[in-house]
Amino acid sequence: MDRRSADGPTSDANSSDREFSEFAAAAHSRLRNTAYLLCGDWERAADHVQEGLIRVYVAWPRLVRRGGELAYARKAVVSAFLDASRKRSSTERPSEPDPERASAEDVAAHVSDRAALMAALARLPQRQRACVVLRYFEDLDVRETAVALRCSEGTVKSQTSRALASLRSMFESASRDELAVIGEGNLPW
Amino acid sequence: MVNDLKQLLRDNVADAPTDHVDVASLVAAGRRRVRVRRTGAVGGVALLAAGVVAIAAIGAPSGSDDTAAATHPPTPDAPTITLAGARPAVAGRDYEVLASHTNKDLDRDNGQYFDGVTDDGLILFRDGPREDLEQPRFALLNPATDEKDWLPDLGIGWSQTWAVELSADRLVLLGAAGTTGMEPRAYVFDRTQRTWTTMTWPTLPDVEFPHGEIGPDGRLYVFEPATQGKIPEGGWPTGNGGDADDSNAEGDTYHLWSVSLTDASDVRDEDLTVGDLAFTDSSMVWTDSANGHAGRVHVRDLATGDEHSFDPHTGAKCNLLSFGATDDRVLMSQFCGDYPGDVRDDRVQILTTDGEQVVTLQDNGVEGSLSPGSDVVTVTSYDGTDDERSGTYVYDLATDRFLRISDAVSSYALGGPTGNATQFLWHTPVNHRHGATQWLGELLR
Repeated sequence: MDRRSADGPTSDANSSDREFSEFAAAAHSRLRNTAYLLCGDWERAADHVQEGLIRVYVAWPRLVRRGGELAYARKAVVSAFLDASRKRSSTERPSEPDPERASAEDVAAHVSDRAALMAALARLPQRQRACVVLRYFEDLDVRETAVALRCSEGTVKSQTSRALASLRSMFESASRDELAVIGEGNLPW
Repeated sequence: MVNDLKQLLRDNVADAPTDHVDVASLVAAGRRRVRVRRTGAVGGVALLAAGVVAIAAIGAPSGSDDTAAATHPPTPDAPTITLAGARPAVAGRDYEVLASHTNKDLDRDNGQYFDGVTDDGLILFRDGPREDLEQPRFALLNPATDEKDWLPDLGIGWSQTWAVELSADRLVLLGAAGTTGMEPRAYVFDRTQRTWTTMTWPTLPDVEFPHGEIGPDGRLYVFEPATQGKIPEGGWPTGNGGDADDSNAEGDTYHLWSVSLTDASDVRDEDLTVGDLAFTDSSMVWTDSANGHAGRVHVRDLATGDEHSFDPHTGAKCNLLSFGATDDRVLMSQFCGDYPGDVRDDRVQILTTDGEQVVTLQDNGVEGSLSPGSDVVTVTSYDGTDDERSGTYVYDLATDRFLRISDAVSSYALGGPTGNATQFLWHTPVNHRHGATQWLGELLR
């Protein structure tokens, strides 16, 4: 069997590009939010999403055959974030929350809590931060988080546990109200 | 008062800046990263079309590799073909010649060469260096018009270069220089700015050079020797032809590094030991070792980092000599030992990236190679005597055609990467083997 499509490569490419474009438009905001919580900067978040979605484009024909496009794109964005932080000369550093955003809204205690969380997240090691974002923002379970981060479920549990302990401690040091995860008593640690 | 983590996370993105996603630019960037044209391929082993000559020579996997008698090469554990299964290619029907260039006497001095083809179809043409030309000159040759666009002088004297990326945006040549002559450097030509930049990496450890692959991320991946296969006590056994038979070698391994081609301080330890390495658009593929037993083949999805590996079922005595990958295919060219009658067991094995055996070419004195992004496996058969099997053959990964392109191969190592999936370079002898003609061809489908 000829590996080429009967309709020809051009027809395939057009159809594939259209499907990818629809997916990228629909998923972009959600992926950008996740990336922002990982890196703490909207511009860099957009960069990570762009890199992740370009990788998704390359793999798109295979993805469409196998399904799971959003999960794959999420992994691609997390991977792009982790890859960027591995560059020795990279300027990528966990950043403090945007000072303008924080100061403009600093009148409300709740907003301060949000800013405090971003500052605390920024101080976590990258993989711990990723565990927190994937578990509590993306609502992935332990197994799904382990798949996304390419590590064992045990590592996810221990990293998440350490991250939560650090976050609580940082909230406490900043004299903020207690940080909790609703329903945490039912979690496996 | 208790802050709920989940709610705080959601609140932190509730007032996100307006999202201006430019899907068209995403698609454009994705297209640039896709080196192989989309085939609409389905996974799994490609079946052979009726009428394809290669079918006739294919045998079923016998699994007899390890148990065959030592008097003749064992049968690979894969569908197998030989050179005899190739159909003579007809110019104009199976392929067309896009360009050619002849050097009548390369024994006397260097000449002019096709060093590869860019993604947009221009030939990287090199002139020299030679006695009356101390510096090599480079041009981009348009095969349609035969016009040459000479590039600014690179100024590298007699240093040799190897093309590793020839894209519409830039040309990347590898070389070595410095006081030891072994300091790796890359010469990057920005085709828009028309300027050369020489890259060196002060913090890069000693790496084997010139040996590098450009990844889809635009980084150059290089190899720091880690372990070297040992020569057995008492030396290699003598083969049937009287030469040392170094099949069944232990193999070498390398520590993998990657470097930026724009930032000399960006040197990254990939924390990975490999033998040989290749990239497809979406994956990194590598073996445990090279120049000996290949070990397992590993495939990493470059988008997510997911990995899987498989046993390629190479023969028990096979040394991996050449490695390549494109789309969902992996190429492993191997030497698998000498046998009575001065017969070499050489193999060009093609697998899927999931480890399924597609086909193995097994014959005496053959070697295969696959340029990044190409669908065309180029196979050369040459034993120095221009016997009836000598020549260049091509195996088209997209259609599984196996064609004989020429009936002789020159004595020189010529060629380079080709940017189009259907293009390939080959060379033939002229002037009683003192010279060579290089050809650029394109498969017709």
